[in-house]
Amino acid sequence: MTATRYLGPARGIAFFAILASLPSFNLAHWVLNIAVFTLMYAVMSSSWNLVGGFAGYPSLGHAAFFGIGAYGTALWFQHHGITSGYEPFLLLPLIGVGAAVLGLPVAFIAMRTRSDVFAIVTITLLFVTQTLAFNLRSLTHGAQGLSIAVAPFSARTYERPFYYVLLILLAVAMLVSFGAMRSKFGLALAAIRADEDKARGIGVRTFGVKLLSFSISVGITAMVGGVWAYYEGFIYPQFAVDPLVTIAIVLMTFLGGRATLWGPVLGAFILETAQQTLAYSLGGSQFYLIAYAMVFLLVMLLMPRGIVPSIQDGLRRRRRRAAVDAPGAGPQGSPADPKSRNARSAMSTVKGHA
Amino acid sequence: MHALIQGIILGVLTAGVYALMASGQTLIFGIMKVVNLAQGAMVILGAYLSYQLFTSFGIDPLLSIPITTIAMFILGVLVEVLFLRPLRREDRSELSLLVTFAVALLLEGFMSVTWKTTIRSTNTSYANSSWTVFGYQITLVRLWAFLLSIAALGVLYLLLNRTRFGRAIRATVQNPESARLLGVEASRVSALGFGLGAATAAAAGSVYGLLYPFNSGSHYDLISRLLSIVLLGGLGSIGGAVVGALVVSTSSAIVASTISPSWSEMTFFVILLLVLLIRPQGLFGSTSRGAI
Amino acid sequence: MHYRNRLRKNLTLATAAVAAAVLVAGCASKAGSSGGGGPTGSGSAAASKAPLVIGASVSLTGDFSDSGKGVQRGYQLWADTVNAKGGILGRKVTVKIVDDASSPTQVVTNYQNLINKDHVDLTFGPFSTLLTIPASQVAKRYGYAFLAPAGGGPDVFKQNLDNFFFVQPAPTTQSGDVFANYILSLSAADRPKTAAYAELDDPFSAPIAENIRSKFEAAGIQTVYKQVYPSETQDLSPVMAAIAAKKPDVIIGGTQSEDAYVQVKSLVQLKYSPKFMFQSNGANSPLEYPNKVGAANTAGIMSSADWYPGSKASGSDAFTAAYIAKFGGSAQTVDDNSAEAYAAGQLVEAVAAKTGKIDNATIISSLHSGSWPTVLGDLAWGANGAPTGQYSLVQWQGGKLIPVFPTDVAQATPMFPKPNWGG
Repeated sequence: MTATRYLGPARGIAFFAILASLPSFNLAHWVLNIAVFTLMYAVMSSSWNLVGGFAGYPSLGHAAFFGIGAYGTALWFQHHGITSGYEPFLLLPLIGVGAAVLGLPVAFIAMRTRSDVFAIVTITLLFVTQTLAFNLRSLTHGAQGLSIAVAPFSARTYERPFYYVLLILLAVAMLVSFGAMRSKFGLALAAIRADEDKARGIGVRTFGVKLLSFSISVGITAMVGGVWAYYEGFIYPQFAVDPLVTIAIVLMTFLGGRATLWGPVLGAFILETAQQTLAYSLGGSQFYLIAYAMVFLLVMLLMPRGIVPSIQDGLRRRRRRAAVDAPGAGPQGSPADPKSRNARSAMSTVKGHA
Repeated sequence: MHALIQGIILGVLTAGVYALMASGQTLIFGIMKVVNLAQGAMVILGAYLSYQLFTSFGIDPLLSIPITTIAMFILGVLVEVLFLRPLRREDRSELSLLVTFAVALLLEGFMSVTWKTTIRSTNTSYANSSWTVFGYQITLVRLWAFLLSIAALGVLYLLLNRTRFGRAIRATVQNPESARLLGVEASRVSALGFGLGAATAAAAGSVYGLLYPFNSGSHYDLISRLLSIVLLGGLGSIGGAVVGALVVSTSSAIVASTISPSWSEMTFFVILLLVLLIRPQGLFGSTSRGAI
Repeated sequence: MHYRNRLRKNLTLATAAVAAAVLVAGCASKAGSSGGGGPTGSGSAAASKAPLVIGASVSLTGDFSDSGKGVQRGYQLWADTVNAKGGILGRKVTVKIVDDASSPTQVVTNYQNLINKDHVDLTFGPFSTLLTIPASQVAKRYGYAFLAPAGGGPDVFKQNLDNFFFVQPAPTTQSGDVFANYILSLSAADRPKTAAYAELDDPFSAPIAENIRSKFEAAGIQTVYKQVYPSETQDLSPVMAAIAAKKPDVIIGGTQSEDAYVQVKSLVQLKYSPKFMFQSNGANSPLEYPNKVGAANTAGIMSSADWYPGSKASGSDAFTAAYIAKFGGSAQTVDDNSAEAYAAGQLVEAVAAKTGKIDNATIISSLHSGSWPTVLGDLAWGANGAPTGQYSLVQWQGGKLIPVFPTDVAQATPMFPKPNWGG
């Protein structure tokens, strides 16, 4: 079934081609602005998924690395000038590598614990990072915040550089996920998720694999933090190191579907655009919180595995029925079929998770 | 030296109310293996209820505790039956984090609609009374809060050790499988246990409202503290929760009095990290969990 | 306190989020129609009788929602007053207020949307204070004047934005200077010798106290204690106990709101009453403060304010009367945030009356010269948008907040030493 085999990559190429061409349609600034924020969350959910989805380690500390990226960028440009406007983007690889290296010892310590204890250890790290951002006043200016020079881009195309940089980051994050889903590395992650002790028993180098996935994941997250800081122009500790960022990422991944390629991206596209537009158009009423919590509960109770796995299940059932109707023509079972692989990893999410 | 001792006194007196909150949370975990992120919101709801009873009917928060605990017990049972029971066993521990968080938001939304977001405090006639003992300041309201928390913990202890219901709970905590064989109905114990956890939150809330100003958003500050306490003591251990509360509140009060309040939160987070890395199950947790 | 509560506010946003999953799923963005391009005042050319739309983003949900609603009431009250007089240059005024839920990303989106989607004619600044900088940058990019009734910290002025005007008498961090000036105006015998400082770690609180401290130290008032506490501190008793142990003549609280109440409560419990006590914020709330600390304990406490009940500033009586007529209550319950928002409106009205024009460029160039009467007094700005006036010192006397210094606004003489707690 060559058609299905190439469906995955083809879908990816089409997706990025469409996104890349969007700004040339001369969209309004406000649309691009929302797209910029949406891409930020899509990149972060996608990279969180490496640890939280594939490896099954629900990190609540990713916002700490988002903040480290933001502060890294802001601090660098306290001492270096911005002339062309592209310098902060050129700095990003350095920020990413720096955060990834910093992530190694953190993972080394935190990943000795699992599941809910791991979640709490990582959120504790987040609060520690936030406290440091507040209290190391000589470095971070504490509660006074840090400013970054305004990008000298023309108002007409102001958002585009941010948009394209984030699009590249999204491509990187999704390529890593894509690679992880069809490599030994990914198999090792799935084994860790399913049963770590057994995986180690059969010779999987669980610790190194976990460390690597955490490190890559937080490196990408930090780069988004850098872009965010530059886009906002001013950062405060409570916004740069914000538990809310973590929670949003987790929600998006859960909504779309953990341990799937498209789930986190889909979740981010739905949640972030909706959030940005509805908060603007509906304005404030305290009933929001109640409505939100209700919908949140409903999603969790009715679609506990997320949208993508639920749809895949539905499709698979349909196909199976079709296969029964026309015996011998059944496409599934072919090991190269990306869909059935996707579905399988989604299944193991459910089974392997606890 | 004076500041250090004053800090210890303050820490110990404050520990009571946190021990009470945390015991409810750890109880819920012990029974259901659910980390209840709504515990803080339930405490604040308890504080609002006794605030309301005080301002509308003049009932002292210390006397309204029986009313608020019963109301919150019912609420707790409802939450368990409606939102937690439907979760499948396999992904319960992870999804329950999200579900209880949603419950926290739900409660918070309800509270900000009902009481607005203005900061409230329960100002009783004795709110500002204090004594000086050997040069150390002891406020009446803190002492009351401490004694009351100890009393509530005592009631909880009796409930768990001297009643059939309590024995069923303890059996479930220790070994769910054999408890089931002995005829303990797990789902009923879960519902009642969650109710009991909510009831302790209500009692703690009444006390909390006496001590601190609060609004519907205060539960975010509470929950990070509560998680630290419960994890430090060991999830599922009530004795551990009491010790955890003592460690957390005295260490942060000492740091606040002798160094700076800016570093006091950091102190107990660091203690917690150290403990978890050496003993991931916490000070008094059983070793059997952690791999769930 | 507030920043953790952002968690809630932002999740409020996320409400929208999932609601969308359900509602919007299909309804693709109906936008995308209009192309980019800076509409600097372009909308106004369309029709002279089209309504004048003013956009502002305010925190309507969450912890600051009470103040945010005060700002909203101020804008609305001003629009109603102006419309009753036939509008501005014959155009009815409408105020479009959107909620930013105290999120720095949402505030950028909101001003983007106000300017480029809804093409509002003018923008007013956001409330909450931490969001002013990103918001003012968006306004600057599209050439909009930005009248901000909140968020006047030092960093905002460091940006040197020519479109930015902080609608208060002076930069926020200088709001305590009037207290320092008052103390230093006392005779050497009356002047306090020792001072203690308890400061909330927040860009709009601690710096106020720090400014007072540098003035006091220069004048030889000894600092016996200074502590900065983070916003999530629930228990200030260790700090206040340390202060009481030092027995300072004056206590300066760099406070926001609830921490002001807690400071007083702790001092009452400690039975220590200083000769002078100043709190930068919280103590200037005529309604909340006596409620929270007990009316008898307020006596003698000082704070600073730009608007207060009984102010003699331009239009203040009309403002107070209109406020009471519309929202009920008494002069004591008028929200000062409403007064600041109302003042932003008065400025627009005054520019239109003077120049006969109401575009952004005119507003920017007009406000940069001369001084402009508002309910907050006469306002004037430096090139970076920093106002050049000063706040008034207010003191609680007989259960009321009364301006006592400087003498041109004083309605009573300052009372000192501060009476003991309980009156």
